[in-house]
Amino acid sequence: MVEQIVFILVSLFTLITAVVVVTNRNLFHAALALMASFLGVAGLYVLLDAGFLAAAQLLVYIGAISILIIFAIMLTRRLMHALESPFNSQWGLGAFTAVVAFAVMAGVIAQFWPVTPDSVTPLASRPEVSASILRGSVAELGRALVSSDAYVIPFEIASVLLLAALIGAIVVAWPKAEDE
Amino acid sequence: MEFQVPSLNLLIVLPVLIVTGWGMLLMLAEFFIPEEKKSWAPWLTMLGLVLALIQTIGLWGYNGGTFTPKGGAPMVVVDNFATFLNIIFLLTGILTVLISIHYLRRTGLDRPEYYMLLLFSVSGMMLMGMANDLILVFLALELLSIPLYILSGFAWPRPDSEESAMKYFLLGAFSSSIFVFGIALTYGSTGTTSLPLVLERISDAGMLGLVATAMLIVGFAFKVAAAPFHMWTPDVYEGAPTTVTAFMSVGAKVGGFAAMLRVFVAALPQLGEAWVPAVAGVATLTLIVGNVVAIVQPNIKRMLAYSSIAHAGYIMIAVAASVNSPDGVSAALFYMLAYLFTNLGAFAVVIALEHKQGEGVMLDDYKGLGKRRPWLALAMAYFMLSLTGVPPTGGFSGKFYVFRAAIEADLLWLAIVGVITSVISGYYYLRVVYLMYMYDGEGEVVANRALVWTVGLTALATLVLGLLPGPWFDMARDAALQTVQMVAGG
Repeated sequence: MVEQIVFILVSLFTLITAVVVVTNRNLFHAALALMASFLGVAGLYVLLDAGFLAAAQLLVYIGAISILIIFAIMLTRRLMHALESPFNSQWGLGAFTAVVAFAVMAGVIAQFWPVTPDSVTPLASRPEVSASILRGSVAELGRALVSSDAYVIPFEIASVLLLAALIGAIVVAWPKAEDE
Repeated sequence: MEFQVPSLNLLIVLPVLIVTGWGMLLMLAEFFIPEEKKSWAPWLTMLGLVLALIQTIGLWGYNGGTFTPKGGAPMVVVDNFATFLNIIFLLTGILTVLISIHYLRRTGLDRPEYYMLLLFSVSGMMLMGMANDLILVFLALELLSIPLYILSGFAWPRPDSEESAMKYFLLGAFSSSIFVFGIALTYGSTGTTSLPLVLERISDAGMLGLVATAMLIVGFAFKVAAAPFHMWTPDVYEGAPTTVTAFMSVGAKVGGFAAMLRVFVAALPQLGEAWVPAVAGVATLTLIVGNVVAIVQPNIKRMLAYSSIAHAGYIMIAVAASVNSPDGVSAALFYMLAYLFTNLGAFAVVIALEHKQGEGVMLDDYKGLGKRRPWLALAMAYFMLSLTGVPPTGGFSGKFYVFRAAIEADLLWLAIVGVITSVISGYYYLRVVYLMYMYDGEGEVVANRALVWTVGLTALATLVLGLLPGPWFDMARDAALQTVQMVAGG
């Protein structure tokens, strides 16, 4: 019961701050609201017993990405104080699309209502999660990422991907030879 | 803890390792080679791609996988399907390097990073065909795309190149998020991301599986530039450096179809009743939009952009036919092989006429080419005929196999749509031929040896695929059987 109340509160917090992000006229305030929304998501992870994921969410999204966004806003002076309406002429169409997408997703998920451990057909065949992972064992996760009988290949490809992105960032940011 | 030697079959993924490793090697080599010898980069890149190609051809006929998680299916598979596609990707890479060398020098874009990013993108494409796990499909898609976002903006600070990169990046990121949502729902409904396991469980997934499939279609349709997800294509193709456009129009499209065929034919055939009409509908819309809008384009890069949208539609026909016809997949593979040579050849001619960046790309610049450069004009005319689908060209053979597969799969109406839109496409392709031979005009043509070689080779390959399609189609059939057998075997 308590858990449900906490869940509702955290969800409300996440959703309300997310609405602030898209409706606020000041970009800087919107960025701050985005940080709050990320915090709410981290709270949801904690409620799901995913402690490591919550910590990663805090470090990556709040610690790195949000700060990056705020830096970008502060470095462009025009954006810092500009009060621009976040709505453009297509907001009606956008809202319509969002509502339809929501209705479809809600309709699909509602089919599994009420949810009990046995009733959820699509999830019935899911594999057993080992106890150590449920305990939030970071060691298990780390091992899975570098084991050849687990996820080493996605891990390696992700590193190549990051290298490509890094080269790309340098290409985009470095002054061209003739400008020097 | 004792050290265990992992039991991996790295030999079969060697082509991808060579390509990625070569990209990193280039990066290191850049420091040790003096400034005045910078022209090494393209040839070194070519060497890497050729080595990988030799290794890939050596793997023809091999059927197996590696990187198997405990109790699961291999994450990377190498079968003829993957090998066939890898040959296409590596040829695309090699031909792109050939057309890039001189173009980059005269437009002032000659930086070694271009070739590194090209190599990384090629490795992403190769993984698209080999990925047997949705996580890997997603990573391969990103590895293919991110270098392309940067390459399309390579001519910054030219505004249209920047616009091209920005549009491609924003819409690409958005479509990737839809794609990853589709993967998440697939995982939610089946408890796995491994394609063979998805195949076993997807029939119990109900509505959730259908929504996931719809999202996967959207993700792929964006990558291959199919309508109604094609809006980015003309602007991106027009603004990007022409060599990058050429690379993108073949590589990214074939990469998208590689993973699409693998996922839809190998993992989701049971949902065929749902996705075949959807893909057929997308194909129809794509064919109509691509071919009709191409008519009014005055810029050849934009025209070829709409033409590439239209060709995505023809391949989509083969994808829609692939569940109910044994030749659907092989028709798609053959079509992509023919499209590779024809389209890259056409772009090579475009590059020859683009004496300065962004100049010489209007259709009017083609006036009188028949008198000034008869051989180049002849090749361009031949490529245009091939894109229209007139025999004896590779484009005709490709369309023939695609339409035959569609009729076998009881999609006669789709084949009729394909034929009608091909006739429409004749109007804008043949107008280029008309302009080249019926008018007088003067414009510079910069054709160096590598470019002329590329035009010659691609024209020859298109001719061979047009005159003797049989052996090549048999090869495509060998490549496709593996996928279909996997479906039957479960």
